[in-house]
Amino acid sequence: MRHVRGFDVVRPLSIGMLVFMMMPLVFLPLASIFIFGTSNGLDKFWAALTAPEAVFALKLSMATSFWATMFNVLFGLFAAYVLSRYNFWGRNALIVTISLPTAIPTAVAGFALLLLWGPYGTLGRFLAPQGIQVMFTAGAIILANIFVTFPLAFGVIKPVFDTMSRSLEEASATIGATRWQTFWYVTLPSLRGAIVSGALLTFARAVGEFGSTILVSGNLAGHTQTAPLYIFAKFNEGQIEAANAIAIVLALFSFLIFSVLFFARDWLDVD
Amino acid sequence: MKAKEKLIEEHKVPAPTPIAPQSATSVVGVSKRFGKTSVLENISFDVAEGEALVLLGASGSGKTTILRIIAGLEQPYTGKVILHGREVTELPARERGVGVIFQSYALFPKMTVEKNIGYGLRIRKRKRREIRETVNELLTLVQLEEHRNKYPSQLSGGQQQRVAIARTLAYKPEVLLFDEPFGALDTQTRKRLRREIRELLRKVNVPAIFITHDQEEALELGDRVAVINKGHIEQIGTPFEIYTHPATEYVATFLGAANLLEAVVRNSGLEFGKTRIAAELDRERFKEGACVKIVFRPEDVFISKSEFVKPGQHKLSSAVVEEISFVGAYERVRLRLEKNGRDECATDDQFFLTTDTPESQSVKSIIATRPKPEASSTRLRVGERVVVAITSFTVLPSK
Repeated sequence: MRHVRGFDVVRPLSIGMLVFMMMPLVFLPLASIFIFGTSNGLDKFWAALTAPEAVFALKLSMATSFWATMFNVLFGLFAAYVLSRYNFWGRNALIVTISLPTAIPTAVAGFALLLLWGPYGTLGRFLAPQGIQVMFTAGAIILANIFVTFPLAFGVIKPVFDTMSRSLEEASATIGATRWQTFWYVTLPSLRGAIVSGALLTFARAVGEFGSTILVSGNLAGHTQTAPLYIFAKFNEGQIEAANAIAIVLALFSFLIFSVLFFARDWLDVD
Repeated sequence: MKAKEKLIEEHKVPAPTPIAPQSATSVVGVSKRFGKTSVLENISFDVAEGEALVLLGASGSGKTTILRIIAGLEQPYTGKVILHGREVTELPARERGVGVIFQSYALFPKMTVEKNIGYGLRIRKRKRREIRETVNELLTLVQLEEHRNKYPSQLSGGQQQRVAIARTLAYKPEVLLFDEPFGALDTQTRKRLRREIRELLRKVNVPAIFITHDQEEALELGDRVAVINKGHIEQIGTPFEIYTHPATEYVATFLGAANLLEAVVRNSGLEFGKTRIAAELDRERFKEGACVKIVFRPEDVFISKSEFVKPGQHKLSSAVVEEISFVGAYERVRLRLEKNGRDECATDDQFFLTTDTPESQSVKSIIATRPKPEASSTRLRVGERVVVAITSFTVLPSK
C-alpha cells in the first residue's frame, strides 16, 4: 500500500470497517425500533405507551427488578466480604457456584424454579396445601430475577474487596474502631463505586429478563406480565405498535443505565 | 488565676527526664511462630517515656512482626506486651490505644485530611466542638492547615505521612509505631522528613518505635537502636554504642562497612601474624590463645608511607594499594594486607573481611576511607606499598 507521509491509510480504513460491520448488527436494529415506533405519529405512540396494561407491565418490571437488585447487592456484598476475607475449605467451590447462574440458559433457570416451587415441585407441594403459591406471582418474577442476576453485583464488588489494602482496615482498628465502624466508615465508602455499578448492571439485566420470567410468571396481563413479556405478547397478537412503544422505553432505559455507567466511571472510581 | 497557673507551668524548667521507673512500652519474652517456623525468639525490650527506639534489621528479620504484635494486629506465641504498666497482650488492637503509622500511611481515601485526623475522636463519640478544636490544633502542629479539605490522593508523600501521624496523635496514643516510615520516598525527602519527625516527636513527647532496614536512618532517628537478626535482638544500645562497639559480627557488618581480621589472644594482648596489638581484653571472655576477630571501620584505618605511626595507632602490617576510588565526600582505598607470619587462627591464611561494598566480598583485602584533606596531602598510587594502622577497633570472639 502506498504510504503518504504522516498519513496512515490503515487507520480510516479500519475505523470505517468497524462502523460498517456494526451497522446491520447493532445500529440499524436499534434505529428501526425508533423509526417504526414513531412512524404513525407521536399521538399513537403515546396512546400505546399509556395503555393500562403497558403501564402495569413497566411498573411490574421496575418493581421486581428493584427488589431483586436490592437483594443481590446486599448478598453480593456479604458474599464478597466472606469470600475475600476468609480462606476456607470449599471457598473456590462457593465462588464457582455463585458465578454459575450466568452460564445457565435463562429458560433452564425458570424451569428449575418451577420444579422447586411449582404446585407439584420439591418444596411447592408442601406449600400448596397451606395455600401458599409462590409461582405465577410477582414473587416468582423476583426469584427468577435474583437467580439470573445472582453473580453480577458479586462479580463487580469482589475484585474491589480483593485489591483493597488490608492496612486501611488495620489502621481503623488500631485507631480504635470496632469491626462494624470500620466496615461502615472505611470499607463501605471504598466500595461505593462497585456497589453502584453492580446495582445498575443487575437492574438493567433484571429489567430485560425474559426466558425465566415467561416460565415462572404465568404471563397474565395486568397481573404478572413484565415489560419484555408484554412486548412478546403484543407482537404475537399482531399489535406491533403496542409492542414497539414499550420496546422504545426499554431501549432508552438501557441507554440511560449504560451512559451512567460509562460517564460516571470517574466519579465511581474516585479514590 | 488559671492563666497565672498556666504561665508558671510554662516557665518551669523541664526536669531532666530520669530513666522512667515505669517504661512506656515493654515487650517481655515475646516469641512468634507461623506454623512450624519460628519468626521471633524471646524478644524483650523497654521503651522509656518520650524515647525513640529503632528496630533495625534486614527484610525477613521479624521486625515488622514485633511491631504488629505491639499494635495487636498479631498475637504472640509466648510473652507479654505492656503499655504504661497495663498488660495488653490479650486485648484487641482497638482497645490498646497504640498509634500505627503504616508504610503506605493507610489514610482513608474517601475522607478529607480533616476527617482523617478526626476519625479517632468521631468513633469515640466525642463532642463536635472538641473534635474540631483537636483537629485544628493538630493541623497547626503538622502544618497542614491549608490542606484540610483535600483528599489524601491530592497530597505529597510527606504530607500524607504527617496526616497519618496527626490522625494517631488525635487520640493521644500510648506509643507511636512507625513501619518503614520512609520506605516509599526519595532520598532527599527522606532526609527532610526524618528531621521533621524528630522535631515533631520532641514536641509531643510520645514514645516511638521505628522499623527500618536503613542503618543511616536508624542511627539518626533512634535514641536507641535494636539490631534484629533472624528473629532475635543482636544488640540494643545508643547509636554511638552500637556503631563503635558492636557486640556481634552481624551488628558490625550490618551497620556500615566493617573490616574483620582474625587474630589470637596472646599475653593479654592480640597477635595478628607477628604483629602485637595492645588491647584491654575482658579476661573472662577472651582466654589466652583464643581466636578472635578484630573489627574496625574503614574510617579508622590509617595509611602511612613510612614505618612510623602516631601514638594511639596500632600498626597492623604493610599493605599494597589495590584500588583507589573517589566517593564524593571521601576517598576509598582498597588495600591488600601482607600478613607477616601465620597464626593458628587464620582459617586458610586468607584475611577475612565483610563489608557492605560489593567488590570486597571475594578479595583478601581491607577497605580504608580517607577524608579529602588527608587524601590530597598524602597522595597514593595503585601498587604502592604502605603501612597500615588502625586507630580504634572492637574485638569479637571468633565463631
